[in-house]
Amino acid sequence: MISVKKVDNRPLNFLERIYLPEIVRGLLVTSRHFFVNLFNPKGMPTVQYPEQKLPLPHAAKERTRHRLKLRADGTPKCVACFMCQTACPAYCIRIEAAEYPDNPVEKSPAVFDIDLSRCVMCGMCVEACPEDAIAMDTLEIPGGALSRAQLKLTKEDLLMTLPGDPSDKGAANRLANEHMKSRGEA
Amino acid sequence: MPKITIDGKTLEVAKGTTVLTAAQQLGVHIPRYCYHPKLSISGNCRMCLVEVEKAPKLMTACSTEAADGMVVHTATDKVKAARRDVLEFLLINHPLDCPICDQAGECGLQDYYMDYSRAKSRFAQADKVRREKRRVMGPHLVLDNERCILCTRCVRFCSEVTKTSELEVMERADHSFIDAKEGRALDNDYSLNIADICPVGAWTSRDFRFKQRVWFLKKTPGVCLGCATGCLTEIHHNEGVIYRIMPRPNADTNTWLCDPGRMAYKAAQAGDRLKKGVIKNGLIDLEPALREAASRIDEHHEAAAVLGSPWLSVEDNAALARFAKDGLKTKNYSFDFDPEQGIKDGILINKDPAPNAAGARKVKAAAGGLSFKELSAKVASGEIKVLVAEARAAGLLKEELKAGGARLIVFAMNRSEIPAGAYATLPYASYFETPGTFINFQGLERRTEPTAAAAEGVKPLWAVIGKLSAYSGGSLRLESAQDALKGI
Ligand code: SF4
Ligand code: FES
Repeated sequence: MISVKKVDNRPLNFLERIYLPEIVRGLLVTSRHFFVNLFNPKGMPTVQYPEQKLPLPHAAKERTRHRLKLRADGTPKCVACFMCQTACPAYCIRIEAAEYPDNPVEKSPAVFDIDLSRCVMCGMCVEACPEDAIAMDTLEIPGGALSRAQLKLTKEDLLMTLPGDPSDKGAANRLANEHMKSRGEA
Repeated sequence: MPKITIDGKTLEVAKGTTVLTAAQQLGVHIPRYCYHPKLSISGNCRMCLVEVEKAPKLMTACSTEAADGMVVHTATDKVKAARRDVLEFLLINHPLDCPICDQAGECGLQDYYMDYSRAKSRFAQADKVRREKRRVMGPHLVLDNERCILCTRCVRFCSEVTKTSELEVMERADHSFIDAKEGRALDNDYSLNIADICPVGAWTSRDFRFKQRVWFLKKTPGVCLGCATGCLTEIHHNEGVIYRIMPRPNADTNTWLCDPGRMAYKAAQAGDRLKKGVIKNGLIDLEPALREAASRIDEHHEAAAVLGSPWLSVEDNAALARFAKDGLKTKNYSFDFDPEQGIKDGILINKDPAPNAAGARKVKAAAGGLSFKELSAKVASGEIKVLVAEARAAGLLKEELKAGGARLIVFAMNRSEIPAGAYATLPYASYFETPGTFINFQGLERRTEPTAAAAEGVKPLWAVIGKLSAYSGGSLRLESAQDALKGI
């Protein structure tokens, strides 16, 4: 439903044009909030983020800061296929690929940067990933940094396993699983 | 001349034309893997099946000759089902490598799967036939036998185009795989074409490997400057970095591209690219280097000489000619290059390694000057005190320079190009960074287009010459490459 609000653009009358009564009216609103909140701080809707956090509703948990998942042998699940970089509407992912000398997975990311100051938290990278290697489930809400540089995540910042994460057991990648099995790591 | 009807459109074709090429003339695309216009017909992939009226079975369009009165349908349900089934066969054992495969994005299997199949696999991943992956084959290629669909394009390329026959299909039936013959290395001069013609990701380039996804690449038409053949190329680049050079097939010169030609972009992006001037062995900023070079030239205005270069574009040679004639007002200049030209190996590589001898001759026709012999004699005798030349062209006068002891002022792109004993070196922009006209051995005029920006301060050669002329008195007023061409 679209609601329409009609704005009455009549010319200001004399009392409004001298401003003083309107300023007093505005100050009264401000002071009412000030005193109400002063004597009843529990009623304030403001949350002191980041010291204080509200529990996230279910869907929002999947839209928190990114991480890159790890396999059981500690290698990133990411194979640097560039799907997320391609899908990202904000152009905030930058990948450079490298080659494993021995691991038959062949390809891995040498560089994996996410610029959170550009990220729009849309989750397209998670959707696009064919290896289930990127997730947005760290429950950290990015923001509140003092410089843009602090909002830049590198591969080292991103690679992490969360407690109870089943992702390092088996992967979408058959070659990786076989490689781990052959070395007794699966 | 047989008349053939394809999807309701009738066409008269030359005798011997296949149904596939006839359809192509009508603008009907028939999917294909093993067919390649420049290779013999093999007819093994079955992707091109079409329905021919009165024929009991579907026919392969690539190997069926058009006959008079033939009526062909390429989009019936039967044909569509056949394409789906052929794709299912090809994909049964194909690995799920797309995330790590460089071919992804320009892969025949991906494209036709999206166009003609979109069926779910009915086979388990665990049952796929395993083959050797990631095998380095020769200096330029990696072979992944699991991805191969056995179309034999690569085998036919090696036996028909390069005639080196390194590759062969080993074993039979579902044991078949591609391999080099025993004791043979895949090191012919055209091996990277195999990565281009392989319709899947079985052959990939070692140089391009994992550098960039193909859908990020932008394509600019170019000209190969590796030899006098002057093949047409397509330069694939992204964000100012060149990643690979591909052939731009044309009837005049080339379908393929040689491996050295494909690697030519590397020098333009090498670490030793000159961004500043060099005096003797020390780097200095461009402006003082220009001033120093100009004052050395000024010491011997009469005894200064200018040598053109078959490695430079027509515009830059013309600028050199104007520098000699209008700037230095010397008679000692030569644009006379007449090396032996012609295809050396029967495929593409030319006997003349310089791309633009004909272009230099064009400048000579307009500006005159000494013959190359006369100039080299003057240099050898010591009559010439300062020689201004492009680095590789100066290399042609190595002995003479040593004998005559003239000061050498060269234009060079890379540090490694600078000839020993050069007094001053001035950098200039490569033809990946600035446009230039080149004339190949057949007399065809071809222009390069810039794909990347030159490093800060590095200018096209005609602009460097313009500045040099301004410092040594008598400015040429070169504002653009077109100014240099005045009178040529
Ligand atoms: S390697 Fe490529 S070109 Fe050679 S047979 Fe296999 S699919 Fe065809
Ligand atoms: S293209 Fe006709 S059978 Fe392969």
